[in-house]
Amino acid sequence: MHNPFGKSLGLAAAALLAAWCGHAAASQLDDIKARGTIVCGTQNASTPYGYQDPQTRQYVGYDVDMCQAIAKQMGLKLEHKPLSTEARIPEVKMGRVDMVAGSVAWLPKRAEQVDFSDQYLQGYIKVLVKEDSGIKTLADLKGKKVCASSGSSSAAVAQKVLKDAQVLTFQTISQCYVGLQTGKVAAMTAGELVLRRFLNDSKKEGKPTALLDEPTYTEHIGIIVKPGEKALLEAIDKAIASLDASGELTRIFDKWMGDGSIYKMKRDFKVESVAAAAQADEAAAAAK
Amino acid sequence: MLSDPEIMDMLGTGIATTVVLFAAAMACGFCIALALTAVNLIPWRPVRSLVALYVEYHRNVPTVVQIMVWYFGMPEILPQALRAWINQGNTEFSFALIALSLNVSAYYYEDIRSGIRAIAGTQIEAARSVGLGAMQALRYVVLPQAVRYAVPPIINRSIILFKDTSLAMVIGVTELTYQAKRIENATFQTFQIFTITTVIYLCVSLLISALGAQIARRYPASFKS
Repeated sequence: MHNPFGKSLGLAAAALLAAWCGHAAASQLDDIKARGTIVCGTQNASTPYGYQDPQTRQYVGYDVDMCQAIAKQMGLKLEHKPLSTEARIPEVKMGRVDMVAGSVAWLPKRAEQVDFSDQYLQGYIKVLVKEDSGIKTLADLKGKKVCASSGSSSAAVAQKVLKDAQVLTFQTISQCYVGLQTGKVAAMTAGELVLRRFLNDSKKEGKPTALLDEPTYTEHIGIIVKPGEKALLEAIDKAIASLDASGELTRIFDKWMGDGSIYKMKRDFKVESVAAAAQADEAAAAAK
Repeated sequence: MLSDPEIMDMLGTGIATTVVLFAAAMACGFCIALALTAVNLIPWRPVRSLVALYVEYHRNVPTVVQIMVWYFGMPEILPQALRAWINQGNTEFSFALIALSLNVSAYYYEDIRSGIRAIAGTQIEAARSVGLGAMQALRYVVLPQAVRYAVPPIINRSIILFKDTSLAMVIGVTELTYQAKRIENATFQTFQIFTITTVIYLCVSLLISALGAQIARRYPASFKS
């Protein structure tokens, strides 16, 4: 399979076969119902979304609980499949899993490859500063050094959003934290959960930091399925909506990211179309 | 890609920073190397051991580690007020310059020393026997030849120094490689941007080689011409 042409020919053949099968067979949802089991993938090493509990060796996390809750809502048994981060989209496209609850954020390029359910989680890229720095908003970062880890999406976002700040990248996010604590940089930017871990540490060390409320970017996260499986997507959307209505979604959130966790976050997202929410953000950013 | 003014701007900053960092490190490094050579003439053993230690540290510890030590480590032993003052300025560039200058000075020193050692001791004896003093023998007989012997290795080391400026990216100096990575992260045009960067590095390196060849031709090691 080292010949690149052989690989793409193989893929093309597989795609043709898949298209033909899809045409001939009934919808994926019917298949799933006939089986009585839904195969749901999550990430395999991403705390607190999907990871192995070090004590029990079981896969646990927000996404795992989502898989379970959705399967239950649909009256199906769950077959959980841990996936690497890179495998999330290919596994869905090849039909080896029925859906992936893998913290996949909606992006136009991704939406061309897979279909997204309504959002069941929202993630933020935020900015951490020293508590006594007097920086309260993103605008206060003007002319200041803001650190991000090299090659990360936070770095790319910061360059776009924090135009007046001087964005500096180090090899790892921990170096940014050292830089922040030693006064080399005024702020650091990364995903909120990562920053919250540093926030907790900084309080323990007695050199408190603070998180700015305003995010530099909002990730709208949905469950992904194979494109064109309308019936399956509708069933998932319905399940998420009823989990939301019954308070189960909030309960799962609180368990993994809220008061039950080290992150102490409040659920602040609505169950809505991910594409619409992302486009609304974009329009709001353009209006600024 | 080259038509985007923002990207051109970033590349321009990158090239300027790289060239300034290189030129400054080369000049500082050379001065430090000369000073080391002078210090090493002091016939007192502890001084010589210190110089040897200095050289061995800078030659045997990876350059990237030395940069990190200077940037993350050194300021921590300074008093708070001084540290705050340092952090206000362009800390990244300054510490990269310090680390690279010290690093290259150890090699330059060795190059100069090897040039001096290439001069046969009998020449000094001969110089002294015709009535030159020790300093005169050094000034008129040994150094003119030694510097010529040292030119090729110094040029060689300078080209390596030029490429080593890219290591400053680990502490966020906006030199060429750092800028290339930023552009890559923003545009995802990995191949294009690194092709452009490669061509730029190659052009400047070749320019340094050409200048070095000029100097070497002007001042050949042997006086055969």
